[in-house]
Amino acid sequence: MEHFLKSKKLKAILIIMALLAGILAYAVSAGGYTIPAVDILNALASPFQKASNAISGNVEYALTLYQNAENGYEENEELRKEVAELHRQLSKYEEVKQELTELKSFVGIKETYDDFVITSPCEVTGYVTNDPFYAFNIDCGKNEGISLYDPVVTEEGLVGVITKLGNNSATVTTILSPDLSVAVYCSTTKDHGVLTGSVGYAMQGMTKLQYLDKETTLRKNQKKDRVVLTSGENGLFPKGYVVGYVNEVKTDDSGLTACASIKPAADVRNLHMVVVVTDFEGKGVESHENQQN
Amino acid sequence: MRISRTDTSGKYIFKQFIQWVLFGLLMVICFVLETAGSFVKPLLLIPLALCISAHTGEIQAMAVGTTCGLLLDVACNKLIGYNAIGLVVVCVIVSLLHGYYLRNRFMNMLLLTAVYTAIQGYLDFFLYYAIWGLEDANLIYTNVYLPSEIMTLVSMIPIYLLVRWIAEICGSRRNYELEKTIIMNS
Repeated sequence: MEHFLKSKKLKAILIIMALLAGILAYAVSAGGYTIPAVDILNALASPFQKASNAISGNVEYALTLYQNAENGYEENEELRKEVAELHRQLSKYEEVKQELTELKSFVGIKETYDDFVITSPCEVTGYVTNDPFYAFNIDCGKNEGISLYDPVVTEEGLVGVITKLGNNSATVTTILSPDLSVAVYCSTTKDHGVLTGSVGYAMQGMTKLQYLDKETTLRKNQKKDRVVLTSGENGLFPKGYVVGYVNEVKTDDSGLTACASIKPAADVRNLHMVVVVTDFEGKGVESHENQQN
Repeated sequence: MRISRTDTSGKYIFKQFIQWVLFGLLMVICFVLETAGSFVKPLLLIPLALCISAHTGEIQAMAVGTTCGLLLDVACNKLIGYNAIGLVVVCVIVSLLHGYYLRNRFMNMLLLTAVYTAIQGYLDFFLYYAIWGLEDANLIYTNVYLPSEIMTLVSMIPIYLLVRWIAEICGSRRNYELEKTIIMNS
């Protein structure tokens, strides 16, 4: 051991550690931008991640099909192989169909919101390992015209914002995260509030609508499926885009305001493709009411 | 008594090359498995780095720690270098411990992996969630970190066996150095 402490090996190890500490310090100072080495690593890992995600998705789908068809198998043993083969074909067909539907739906976004400048559909390369708020990586970056904090959407609704950006990849923080706050309003009652994630709700795949008026009309008439839309007040998100549906309304812990659990319109925990809104009407412009405050 | 070396130098280099190719392949597989799906997963790169380090010299352990640490940082979306620094230190310590004090036994590796996984998990949880005073932050520890740590420990069993098998087949550097010393002294 003494030999090691006096050896050049220890010096080499200390140099590498100092280098890593330097990289760490640089990463901290880089804000949301990834360092070039990470971009290269992401580019190299991306095909492997896509492949593994596709495999795990297919396995999951095949298992579901198998469970659903189990009774049929018992009835006729001879048809089992044939059914399995048909299921395999169906699985491929469904996969292609789903992809086509997703692509069509993204065209729909552009038709509905003509002020949106959107990227071509970005593939979700993988979810961040063990992230409780389901952050994920996409295969689009600065080269596609994306900027930090651009909103990420699907046809169903808002998903999150870009919080880390490389040339050909980006990381998306979802609306389940407490790091993200979105000004929203309810389409039917016009109640305004702030949508921000919480640990407890994120575990159930939901998010929290805070700072509602204590006597909110949402509480009086607890109809399901009330739609929550972005209010576009801070210029970070486009106005009137669907975020989710009101699930349950209750009084906040402080007793001064009400809050509600919101089920996101898009299934944040199981995404395959998303689009990034790089520009929209009112981007970066705070609303008049906000400016006055 | 004359002890002859089992491998010629060229053969040894070839075996070493194969060994590191296989170790590299294992790293890629572990990285890919770690990033598949959105469910809670074991951090496979930790036991892999520790098991490889137990069979190699300090410099190789440092390289393995750096590589696996950086891959872990990318997979977990942490600051680049955050996991790498910790893993370099632990991998070098594991290599030194196995070189000077410990025998390469399963229980030793299990203990080392358990200690490091627990420290890494808690530190991660503390720095990324607890310190910011998040409401119900303990839920993250019980629902994400703890299951992941347990899964990491369980996954250490096949990884340990696989790494040991590769090292035995290809002849680890430590065995070669030991063999060389015996030959020189005999």
